[in-house]
Amino acid sequence: MSALSEGWNSQIRVVKALMVRELTTRFGRENIGFLWMMAEPMLFAVLVGVMWTYLKGPEENGIGMIAFVASGYVPLTFLRSSFTRSTSIFVANGSLLYHRQVKVTDFVLVRVLIEFVGATMAWVFISLALGILGYIPVPAYPGMMVAGWLLYGLVVLSVCMVIAPLSVMSEVVEKIMPVSVYIAIPISGTFTMASWAPPSVRDYLLMSPMVNTMEMIRYGLFGDYVEPYYNVWNPILVSIVFLMIGLVLCRRMRRDLVVE
Amino acid sequence: MIACESLYKSYRAGHGRKRVLENINLTFNRGDRVGLLGRNGAGKTTLIKMIGGVEMPTSGRIVREMSCSWPLGFNGGFQGSLTGYDNARFIARIYGRDYKDLRSFVEDFTELGGQLRMPVKTYSAGMRARLAFGLSLAIEFDCYLIDEVIMVGDRNFQLKCHTEIFEKRHDRALVLATHGADYIREYCNLAVVLRNGRAEVYQDIEEALAIYEAL
Repeated sequence: MSALSEGWNSQIRVVKALMVRELTTRFGRENIGFLWMMAEPMLFAVLVGVMWTYLKGPEENGIGMIAFVASGYVPLTFLRSSFTRSTSIFVANGSLLYHRQVKVTDFVLVRVLIEFVGATMAWVFISLALGILGYIPVPAYPGMMVAGWLLYGLVVLSVCMVIAPLSVMSEVVEKIMPVSVYIAIPISGTFTMASWAPPSVRDYLLMSPMVNTMEMIRYGLFGDYVEPYYNVWNPILVSIVFLMIGLVLCRRMRRDLVVE
Repeated sequence: MIACESLYKSYRAGHGRKRVLENINLTFNRGDRVGLLGRNGAGKTTLIKMIGGVEMPTSGRIVREMSCSWPLGFNGGFQGSLTGYDNARFIARIYGRDYKDLRSFVEDFTELGGQLRMPVKTYSAGMRARLAFGLSLAIEFDCYLIDEVIMVGDRNFQLKCHTEIFEKRHDRALVLATHGADYIREYCNLAVVLRNGRAEVYQDIEEALAIYEAL
């Protein structure tokens, strides 16, 4: 029991230390990296929102266009950067594996956590800035929105646990990552809602954990203006499966990993 | 005690695998000073990395019943883009040590002064060695793994290592990979000669050195 709690404490120490280190290397002491992390999605949401407003009208099915784009794009940036940053994560951090208590899974966890915190801050920033101007509503069901966002984070984390070791085993993974994220956008729920799709298509869309969680996020934000379709168990089960595969792959990969 | 039990290590090389170490059995206790001898590429660094838990054996296992430093060598252990102080802070955090104590020991031991505010990638081999030794001595391990790097230090550093490791911490264990026969002769009570992937353990240091020199 004491060995277990010592192991847990050591893991917490490592994750904390890695978080601090990652923040200092990524955002430095002098540059404004963290600000960009928030400004970029806002710029996108406003520009695309304005463009769509002209093309399709200021509202779609009773929802403000800018709010709709922003609520999809912030999670998408989180997903995209987590996926791309999970490739070659062990090569970049290799020298830290000299310390035995640092585990390969810590690297993935920390990367995703940082992206998650960044995206959450981006959302808070955007919704405050655009909320004052009346473009983004106050969340109708904040609990639902948070639950959806946490589940979204869990799914992304579990997929990254698989991507990271695979990218060591095969270079192809790294190369095809950007294009596969792009192709996956239609099934990510980023720019659509399940209720807009015909029922036959909807059934397929709802197999995607991203769609289920985006539905929850949008339901939490817009409330009864939207008609949500979701099943909480879908993202939970999908993440458990991915996590298990990921942990097995990480273990395998670690045994053969050459640490310089 | 640290024990290696039938360790095998092979690396992926093209389509096949290259076997580096086979059936290594080695046990040592607190107070033992193990000298690792072998030609370049014999597997000294690989063995030290496995004892330190940096790389995993292909099969076999390592039992660690005492705390063991990370391998102090030319590579690894530090983030090149971070400063000496940042690395010290990181290491203090993951080993659960107080950063202030660690910092004052490191400043004292390394004598690097303002260089500690520079990224570690700008350090020379000797400076890196000073930092690595300073940190691992401040943390206090039961066993120190040293891969060559002690040789790159200047006279002042060698003297410091002598007092800190061989005098003040003479009760600790040490694994030392080196080509310096004098070092082994002076400090080690066990010698391991690696050849053709196998390890031969000698109590008699002179015998081991004679075999090593004939390789």
